[in-house]
Amino acid sequence: MSSNSPILDPKCPGGDIETRWDRHRFAMKQVNPANKRKFHIIVVGTGLAGGSAAASLAELGYRVTSLCIQDSPRRAHSIAAQGGINAAKNYPNDGDSVFRLFYDTIKGGDYRARESNVYRLAQVSNNIIDQATAQGVPFAREYGGHLANRSFGGAQVSRTFYARGATGQQLLLGAYAAMNRQIQAGRIDMRCRREMLELVVVDGVARGVIVRNLITGAYERYAGDAVLLCTGGYGNAFYLSTNAKNSNVTASWRAYKRGAFFANPCYTQIHPTCIPVSGDHQSKLTLMSESLRNDGRVWVPKAAEDKRPASQIPEEDRDYYLERRYPAFGNLVPRDVASRAAKERCDAGFGVGSSSMAVYLDFADAIDRDGEDAVRAKYGNLFHMYQKITDENPYESPMRIFPAVHYTMGGLWVDYNLESTIPGLFVLGEANFSDHGANRLGASALMQGLSDGYFVIPYTVCGHLAGRHLQPVTTQHEAFAEAESEARSQTEKLLAVGGSRSVDSFHRELGLTLWDDCGMARSEKGLKHAIGKIAELRAAFWNDVRVLGEEKDLNQSLEKAGRVADFLEFAEVLVKDALNRTESCGGHFRLESQTEEGEAKRDDENFSYAAAWEYQGTGQDAVLHKEPLAFEYVQLAQRSYK
Amino acid sequence: MSAEKTMKLNLKIWRQKNADSNGSIEDFQLDGVSTDMSFLEMLDVLNEQLISAGREPIAFDHDCREGVCGCCGAVVNGQVHGPDEETTLCQLHMRRFHDGDTIQIEPWRSRAFPVIKDLIVDRTAFERIQQAGGFVSVSTGSAPDANTISIPTRDAEKAFDFAECIGCGGCVAACPNGAAMLFTAAKVAQLVTLPQGKLERSSRVLTMVERMDAEGFGDCTNHYECSAACPKGVPIEAIAVMNREYLRATFLSPEGA
Amino acid sequence: MLRWIYRFLNSSIGRKALMASTGLLLIGFLIAHLAGNLSLYKGEGVFDEYAHFLGGLEILPLAEFLLALLFVAHITMAILTTLENRGARPVKYAVAASHGKKTVSSTTMFISGLVVLIFLGKHLWDFRLHKEAFEKAPAEVVQTALSNPLTAMVYILGAIALGFHLFHAFASAFQTLGVNHPKYTPALTWLGRVLAVILALGFASFPLIFWLSQGGAH
Repeated sequence: MSSNSPILDPKCPGGDIETRWDRHRFAMKQVNPANKRKFHIIVVGTGLAGGSAAASLAELGYRVTSLCIQDSPRRAHSIAAQGGINAAKNYPNDGDSVFRLFYDTIKGGDYRARESNVYRLAQVSNNIIDQATAQGVPFAREYGGHLANRSFGGAQVSRTFYARGATGQQLLLGAYAAMNRQIQAGRIDMRCRREMLELVVVDGVARGVIVRNLITGAYERYAGDAVLLCTGGYGNAFYLSTNAKNSNVTASWRAYKRGAFFANPCYTQIHPTCIPVSGDHQSKLTLMSESLRNDGRVWVPKAAEDKRPASQIPEEDRDYYLERRYPAFGNLVPRDVASRAAKERCDAGFGVGSSSMAVYLDFADAIDRDGEDAVRAKYGNLFHMYQKITDENPYESPMRIFPAVHYTMGGLWVDYNLESTIPGLFVLGEANFSDHGANRLGASALMQGLSDGYFVIPYTVCGHLAGRHLQPVTTQHEAFAEAESEARSQTEKLLAVGGSRSVDSFHRELGLTLWDDCGMARSEKGLKHAIGKIAELRAAFWNDVRVLGEEKDLNQSLEKAGRVADFLEFAEVLVKDALNRTESCGGHFRLESQTEEGEAKRDDENFSYAAAWEYQGTGQDAVLHKEPLAFEYVQLAQRSYK
Repeated sequence: MSAEKTMKLNLKIWRQKNADSNGSIEDFQLDGVSTDMSFLEMLDVLNEQLISAGREPIAFDHDCREGVCGCCGAVVNGQVHGPDEETTLCQLHMRRFHDGDTIQIEPWRSRAFPVIKDLIVDRTAFERIQQAGGFVSVSTGSAPDANTISIPTRDAEKAFDFAECIGCGGCVAACPNGAAMLFTAAKVAQLVTLPQGKLERSSRVLTMVERMDAEGFGDCTNHYECSAACPKGVPIEAIAVMNREYLRATFLSPEGA
Repeated sequence: MLRWIYRFLNSSIGRKALMASTGLLLIGFLIAHLAGNLSLYKGEGVFDEYAHFLGGLEILPLAEFLLALLFVAHITMAILTTLENRGARPVKYAVAASHGKKTVSSTTMFISGLVVLIFLGKHLWDFRLHKEAFEKAPAEVVQTALSNPLTAMVYILGAIALGFHLFHAFASAFQTLGVNHPKYTPALTWLGRVLAVILALGFASFPLIFWLSQGGAH
């Protein structure tokens, strides 16, 4: 299959990487300022990427329609990002630079990201901080009044800007405010509680969307000259994740079924420090900031099935396995390494807590060393949150943590212009695949979302609008009718099944399958098992799901059912991508690809490419397209944290 | 570590088919509720039970389930977001309740927040208030280097206290008068505390208050229930700042003419 | 040109600012009023002298007019705000509870205000409008009126309602006018409460004493 799959061209400019973006922007066709109001752009999603794109495009004079699933654009899940946003400002004078941020991002992504995109990301990172500050985002400050930075996620420099533990919230509210200004000015038509169900493609170009009005249940058509998907990641395929409950893959998936390629779906980030599952009722997982590992020590009992409370396990019976395995980095190994090591211990029977699927994160030493007050000053809000959820006091007994799905690096394939394989369909933020490779660094998601929306798409959309001679299209076009009937028929089908099981029960089962067979460790056997299981589950879903209520009404079961139906299809591509990639990379440990010491082993010779999957119709295997990854500026090396 | 227990609850929940119909309180019995569940997970379990009985599940807004998106919210036994301080409904845990408890769950009640279905209300009035002026007029690309604006730490921290508002609407629901002052004031106060927001301070407060009044919220009479119920603890000082700004804009600024 | 006044008086904050500022001025009047009344305790002659001094002031009609204006403005704003607030929650909660910040005083402002207003009507009738009020010496008028147990009761109730009203009103007015400061607000809150108690006790003391002393005479 892979030997004769066609090669994909990312349309990156060549030459000196430092001037690529400049030269590319200069070479691109421009839209005359007076003509901008003639173009209509549809933006789906209002997170950091969608919000910043909608506002910036409207400021330029385009007519924008913005759609979001919640009752307000301010509620997109970017709001939940805690830690911070990276930028190469080098304010602390510790040696940061655009090149270093670029280098760290490529290396952190385990050499599976596109150099040109990542360099551009590092270049515009500084503008983001300026923009957000001007909007009134209350970043943390030093006593002299200048912006404060902190080190994050094991980075060697302090380049992370933050607003207490709510950086995502504050940045999103900044973009939201910029949108509000344009809504007030009449340049953004904001439509909330709308879920995108279909992409409308006319003459091979994306020209509109079909959405369901989540209050009335009516289908609505929106036509435009370009469509921007800013609909986030697909982490909820795993059911339990740190994603918001409404986050889903539907918009991306329907675009995929209309011809957009899906790239690297098997790249999911599993965050090491989350509060573990407490029971079957669990509906989502809560992240505890990565910064905790700066002072906490991770351990499990030395003896398997040791059920004594932590306080009764003496020092000599404890296994500080990260410090044991990675003496150089200890508890500060990157996310992927920490996650895998925790899973390894729990699988081997050393896990703690009632579920035995957790490890301890212990602050006793830090409290002894610095005092409880110092620890409280640094992590007070996190400890408080932990106590609220678990009813345990982390000042007295160690936290229990376990990895959880957190972010998805994979997404719709885009070229350097953020344009998918469907002309006129642009994909921004977590929904695309381009910048993080196989593993995203901490504090880089916010950077990428805002970079795409504020500083990339306003330029690259011009190339499409000015370069292609778009004919006027209205919602009366037959392509809209066809797409709408497609969306309608799926909804009707869901309501007609009339089975006995709830949507959530299928979703949970799918999640468990993916977590077990396609989570942190994967093997051919497990992945093949998952493929069979997913097909069974999909069949069972369409036979036995029970969706109550009506179509023309606010119907949350129906909304969920549509999303789970898509997850059940999408999961197969996710697993098949994982099966294809027989190397270990990022947090994805392929059992067949490990070093003698049991560490992850990349296979650059065979897998130095982005895998983009093309839909071939129901029941057909997707076709793999490869985008080879060339590394001209960063030397490939095996990561080691020993 | 508190051991997990299960309990049986009597739930009295507001059900309303849509904005045009009349709602009423319905009774439900729910057994096997774990003390480790969050309040919304308890509702999930109830909904599973309703679905298997062929009854339509209870509609409620929720998304992030970690207390920051502002989607969720209900009045639990008369208290906005339940009994805990600085806690959203999704962060409230069932260990706060006891076996055999009766729990009354109602949607936000406000003329400006009509019920859409069951516990879901229409909060778009909040959107219009923000659109009326809750921003700094800076277009993408026009910002100077971030460090050209120095801001004392205390001002940045103060601005953050106001900026933490999640727009859940709990302040309106908790206010005996159904006022939206804390919500509106949080944005006004955040932006006027920072130099970036000072240029438009007069026009902002005038237009935002005008919009707020037009939406049908009540007037503040300083009960301070809003701030006490606020899951983010937005300080009541915000309202004083907005009052001051409004008077300043009316009597001292050209925009007040 | 007067558009801004219209806008101001139609805005929630404008109305409340007017209510708060007239309220504070009225508190000022109450303090002066109580101080004057206290002269009764120095002897009837002193009180009569004080009353005649007030009565002889040339600006008295103007002062009374302005005082009436304060009342009218305060009451009008209160009625408008209360009506607005009654309408803002058409469907009430089935369970009444709170997060514990509202007080009996803060939730009964309109009622306590209404009681004070009714009392004010009686008070004006007794000492300002009633014909007999001008025929006797001021101190005697007071004594006669307050010796009636029913009247004394009304006066005591009026003072209690005033206390309840002011218990919330004083600090609340500062918040409404934009004064909130970590250093001064707690002090203002306590000052307001102490002031409310002093004014209520002060005004209630007259009917109490007259009533009791009269009761003692029997």
